[in-house]
Amino acid sequence: MIFRPHWILLLALSILSPLLARPYFNNLEAPESLEDLKKIQEALQVSLPKTRAATVCLEIGEGSGSGVIISEDGLVLTAAHVSGGVDKEITMVLEDGRKLKGRSLGLNSETDAAMLQITDPGPFPFVEVDMDDSFKLGDWVFALGHSGGFDKERGVNVRIGRMVRQADSTVQSDCMLIGGDSGGPLFDIEGKLIAIHSRVGASKEESMHVPIREFQRSWEEMSKGEFLGEGGFAKKPEPGSGFLGVMVEENEKGEIEVKELFSKSVAEKAGIKVGAILLEIDGKALANKDSFYEALSTKGVEEFVLIRWSFQEEVFEKKIELVERP
Amino acid sequence: MRVTIFFLSALLGLPIFANSLPSEQRKNNKLVQAALSPVQLSLQSGSAVFYNDSDRKPFLYGTVVSPDGYILTKASELELVEEFHVRIDEERYRELKVVAIDTVWDLALVKAEATELTPVVWAPSSDLAHGTWVVSNGATERRYRRPRPGIISANKRAISGGTQMVLGVGLKDTDEGIVITSITEGSGAEKAKLQKGDLIIKVDDQDSKKREDFVELIKEKTAEDSIELVVKRDEETLTLDVELTSRYKLYGGSKSRNDQMSGGDNHISRRRTGFPMVIQHETQLTRRSVGGPLLTFDGECVGLNIAAVNRVEVYAVPVENLLEVLSEMMEEAEANGKN
Repeated sequence: MIFRPHWILLLALSILSPLLARPYFNNLEAPESLEDLKKIQEALQVSLPKTRAATVCLEIGEGSGSGVIISEDGLVLTAAHVSGGVDKEITMVLEDGRKLKGRSLGLNSETDAAMLQITDPGPFPFVEVDMDDSFKLGDWVFALGHSGGFDKERGVNVRIGRMVRQADSTVQSDCMLIGGDSGGPLFDIEGKLIAIHSRVGASKEESMHVPIREFQRSWEEMSKGEFLGEGGFAKKPEPGSGFLGVMVEENEKGEIEVKELFSKSVAEKAGIKVGAILLEIDGKALANKDSFYEALSTKGVEEFVLIRWSFQEEVFEKKIELVERP
Repeated sequence: MRVTIFFLSALLGLPIFANSLPSEQRKNNKLVQAALSPVQLSLQSGSAVFYNDSDRKPFLYGTVVSPDGYILTKASELELVEEFHVRIDEERYRELKVVAIDTVWDLALVKAEATELTPVVWAPSSDLAHGTWVVSNGATERRYRRPRPGIISANKRAISGGTQMVLGVGLKDTDEGIVITSITEGSGAEKAKLQKGDLIIKVDDQDSKKREDFVELIKEKTAEDSIELVVKRDEETLTLDVELTSRYKLYGGSKSRNDQMSGGDNHISRRRTGFPMVIQHETQLTRRSVGGPLLTFDGECVGLNIAAVNRVEVYAVPVENLLEVLSEMMEEAEANGKN
């Protein structure tokens, strides 16, 4: 009992110290005057140039989403339902219209977290990430994104709001979101990345974001390109579902020769001809026809195979994206 | 030890640790509204509320531009309601007249029989940086205009689409030329008695052989206008005057997934494209809450909310353009008054 005041003091200090380092308006129940609101505006406007520059529009097939660059060499965070899979080619567009090539790394289909890597040479504009998970309920935050797709005249769309609800794997703000914002960044007012836009709720003012702590939990695996979880945000390609469109036989020399080619198949589009000799798949020499079909049986829709073949003395090599079986 | 635990849980019970922010503290709610009270004064005197006489519900806002009762508002929403009245501050006005319309900016100038109103004070410029607070009309009470905050959210720019005039026909290219394949109900094409199968030969005295060229010719028309069509029907050659209609009037806007997400027709403005210049903000407004002034924290009017585009985008006519078109509309009103 003697120690009680001491305990209280320590406790109070440990709770107050992070609060003291924060902008004062985050500690108010709500802004009390125009002055308070102007201070929020000033802080936001300091943060905007850098955060806008690092926010990208993702062009994936027909769809589009958003993402944010977090390192000079082009590591990008986005949502799993935007990247849609691992090792996919993705074009990223900066606010000034510059297009960058990249590919998807790993994702977590249960939390909607995903990583991408820009493959063009850097350096790129990037933002600081709040690795300490330091934001609190009620903090003023802002959302950026390419709402509805890239629009050079309009630029990045800015929204302001407060952190209104917290759960372990999802946080909620009252920043408004719409299609195309998915995968875009939510920042604290000082421009530190705190979450990634995931989805909207039934009410207009319910926007859900994946907090950085969820990314941290599977950072290693995602950087290595792993597809994590069995959640609804992304579907793992089913092994063997990918379709190339060739039928092969071993000819008298023991070579693997293309006997039939499905018309309009990805193999035909890649330039493979009837009579072509398949040499390698994903860098491995083919011993016989079974080794070819075995290699294919591990691949799903939208996954790639690297095929090396020869035709009339010439050797070709191409990365081919598999499609659904017709 | 027990003492510590007790205090910890007590502290955890404080609102700052609760996992949900009380609703009155959210961006659009009571406490922030209270902080906006200095700007609310300008909104109270400088905005008008349009009520539909048939259901007595507010359906649009307006911007008070003169002490003697001139009000600017959004034309394409106003034209949907036949009988309406207006409330400015606490007063109700029933004697109203639409004195001028500008179809390019989708503005209507309305005159109320009023004196000694306090019009909006114009801001010197609409060039506000991204992130600047602006205030619009939120939900209204009979005697009180609620302020709703937002920020400038994107670049100032033109919004393409023109007024998108259409004939109201389906067309296809054939070897002989453009053939009409369908006629839209209520369109100028229907009124002019164009028929399925008609072959288009000339548009406004110019030969027109391809659908693409034809659409280009129509696109250049901006106001409600008519064109002269020469068509071949069987062996006959007919010359017809066909009235053009705005695309949004005939077909409504196109509905994307984002439009559905924004609440569809009930929430987004009927006309939301084709403005020569706009500033954009992210205030949560609907088609029923545009038409009013967009105010700065100094209480100055920096624009007029002209379109609720979707759940994240609102366009406002910038003050510079607004003043220009207002003076033209005033002249038009005066000229009409003398006739």
